[in-house]
Amino acid sequence: MGDFTGFFLIQIALIAVVLVLHTYIGLHVIRRTLIFSDLVLDQLAAFGAMVGIALGVRYGSSGSYWLSLVAVLIGSGLLAAADPRDKRIPREAAIGILYALALVASLLLGDKLSGGGDYVTKTLAGAMLWVSWPLVIVTAAVYIALAVFHYVFRARFIALADPNSGLRRRRLWDFLFFTTQGIITVLIVPIAGVLLAYAFLMIPAAIAAMFTRGWFRAVALGWSVGIVACALGLGASYRWNLPYGPSLVLAMGLFFLVAVLIRSLRPASRTPAEGAAS
Amino acid sequence: MSEFFSLQGLPLLACLLMTAILGYVGLHVIRREVIFIDIALAQIAVVGAIAVHILLGVHEDSLAANVAAFGSILVAAAFFALARRRIHQIPLEAVIGVTYAIAAAGALFLVGIAPGGHSHVQDMLAGSILWVTRADILVSAPILAAAALVFFIFRRPLQAISEDYEGARAAGYAALRWDYLFYVLVGVVITTVVRMGGVVLVFSLLIIPPVIATMLAESWAARLAVTWAVGAVAALGGLGFASLHDFSVGPSIALGLGILVALTGLWRRWGNAG
Repeated sequence: MGDFTGFFLIQIALIAVVLVLHTYIGLHVIRRTLIFSDLVLDQLAAFGAMVGIALGVRYGSSGSYWLSLVAVLIGSGLLAAADPRDKRIPREAAIGILYALALVASLLLGDKLSGGGDYVTKTLAGAMLWVSWPLVIVTAAVYIALAVFHYVFRARFIALADPNSGLRRRRLWDFLFFTTQGIITVLIVPIAGVLLAYAFLMIPAAIAAMFTRGWFRAVALGWSVGIVACALGLGASYRWNLPYGPSLVLAMGLFFLVAVLIRSLRPASRTPAEGAAS
Repeated sequence: MSEFFSLQGLPLLACLLMTAILGYVGLHVIRREVIFIDIALAQIAVVGAIAVHILLGVHEDSLAANVAAFGSILVAAAFFALARRRIHQIPLEAVIGVTYAIAAAGALFLVGIAPGGHSHVQDMLAGSILWVTRADILVSAPILAAAALVFFIFRRPLQAISEDYEGARAAGYAALRWDYLFYVLVGVVITTVVRMGGVVLVFSLLIIPPVIATMLAESWAARLAVTWAVGAVAALGGLGFASLHDFSVGPSIALGLGILVALTGLWRRWGNAG
């Protein structure tokens, strides 16, 4: 029982750290409709690891992490470039095409790799490893560094979300944005799996964005709802021995559906003060 | 040459069938900016099928499982149509993207708690269009033809709403009801073709030819013609490439589509300017 409490605390601590940055990045992703970007980066991280396997680098080793990081950096460049000038084509469509091609690259490579199909499946479903304190500390350190970076340059990143902001070197800031998303993807996916990582990014942010326009307020709201949902999901998964990742996603999903219901019954009457508050 | 067609005739036929219907649906999907709809609806149908498979013990491809899959699509279609009307703070694409996560978690959850639960992720992704049988096509073709007929009969309201939701409402269309019909039709089409082609091929055929067509043509009819031409070229090229070099067919065709969209994009950006 003591072990369980210990694991529970480590996992909640890690989720608490992870959720801050994920909610913030997720708000950008949702407000700018770049929903597919996370799947692109996930898939490229998996592709990097598969290239490693083809070259004889063991899955999960540090070499494999570096290859994932390289693949993700190339992906950030492609995502920043995939901004159609033709305004009839939504950027989300261009990003969706990148996702399809990243998946195609993985599947074609998997064709030529013995047991390649297993890796495609494994990276999709997520191989959940037990979280340990050193891992929490490394992850937390990188997350905090990235959060500080985003806090310092918040004006630039928030200007990205406004097409009329006149931000200079938009491509560069876009690249840095996707690079941040890519780094957290490479770190979190081996721990949580693709699906839970994607849910951390999207669900708390989507809930928050439905209720407030301010950035700081939205991060606070998303984080609070997210941590409550995750604690409930994690508790349920321990109590009734349910699958870990899906329980967390479903708990957050339940809050999302309730939020949609509230918003449907009570459509917004937003005051300008609310947006200006933060 | 005749050997190629005797081996690849059925897969080619299946690809052309998919291209025909997905090209038109894709034009709507691009215009509405709901790129995730394909993956989300496919996943939601899977949850329905898995749920009855586990609860009732019926086979995953039985009538009951198909009815459950269709039932979950009806529910999801109503949810998306309502969300489009009532939720204004976040894009519908985000709602659909989150719904996908919930559905995927639901499937993993059910598989995880069921004794002996299993999933065929790789098969579902890559598809097995090379092993498409005459029976598959005989079952799919009437369903797709019926969906196409409904799309054709109601093309005016459906296209008006895809072009401009609020404008169509102002013009007197019952947008909520037409939206519901639209998402049900998309769900039926997607679940039918995913069985034949797998997620990667279906997603690529849904998004890429319509993006190329949107770059090259203006009217719905001209764009539809371009999507069909692009899909047919990629299907022939991809099948040839896959059989020559022993790759999976679905991803090979998707690769061909990717090359075509990259070339078109580059040509539009630099070819026209220079």
